[in-house]
Amino acid sequence: MSTTKHFHWFWAWDDEKEEAYLRNMALDGWHFQAVTFPGYYTFEEGDPRNDFYRLDFLSNYKDKENYLQLFEDAGWSHVGEYGSWQYFRKTAVEGEKLEIFTDNESKQKKYGRILLYLIIFLPIYITFLTRVNEASNTIYKIFTLVMFLFFLLYIYVMLMLIRRISQLKKKL
Amino acid sequence: MSTDLKKYLPLTESTAYTLLALTEPLHGYGVMQKVESMSDGTVKIGPGTLYGAFTTLESEGLIIKVNEAERRKVYALTDKGRQVLKEHIRRSEIMVDNGQITKDW
Repeated sequence: MSTTKHFHWFWAWDDEKEEAYLRNMALDGWHFQAVTFPGYYTFEEGDPRNDFYRLDFLSNYKDKENYLQLFEDAGWSHVGEYGSWQYFRKTAVEGEKLEIFTDNESKQKKYGRILLYLIIFLPIYITFLTRVNEASNTIYKIFTLVMFLFFLLYIYVMLMLIRRISQLKKKL
Repeated sequence: MSTDLKKYLPLTESTAYTLLALTEPLHGYGVMQKVESMSDGTVKIGPGTLYGAFTTLESEGLIIKVNEAERRKVYALTDKGRQVLKEHIRRSEIMVDNGQITKDW
């Protein structure tokens, strides 16, 4: 059985595109096997299958067993994990669309969990950045610059998540 | 009904059906199946949505874990949950009464 590796980047607010990407691969006969840092997917070749892939962002690891059991009972296989992202797969019958989040409120909450996760780490960045003036040697200056760029990226991701949540709120 | 409980209203359709299903103790998949059959298939609750609902409802004290076996938590309504559900149903009845007009369309 042949396998292939693909790099595929996705933004947290755009995870539905990632779900569609994995589904399209399955429809072409390439089935998700694993995901590894920083976004390498392993696919195994097989018969095309009408699979849906769905991603969730888990924040309560203490309750993971119960959480996964609920998905399994509902027919979803837990196929991968990437950071806090949980990958689920379920085969659909013709014309069926499968979801793990069946209403807008719970979709908003998923992006809210990611946002909260980012906010928790925000003080670390701020602590580093407020020490810019103390920077004396070159290495530290470069390090601070890198941290600053990460900080901007961080803010950008947070704003895009907020935008995604407000888009979902607008739905009637 | 105290103002303290009114903050939960109106419930979303999934939450209302989840509470309604929990008038008897059930685990997650039991709730999903019961809701689908109770609602004549109009409401299907996905595991992501249900897990989130359980978490919120439990932390707000509207449901309580009564048992846990083989990684499945069994939940039931609390008194608070009953009161909220009762008020939601009362409000819904008013809307349904008003909505009778649509049957002639």
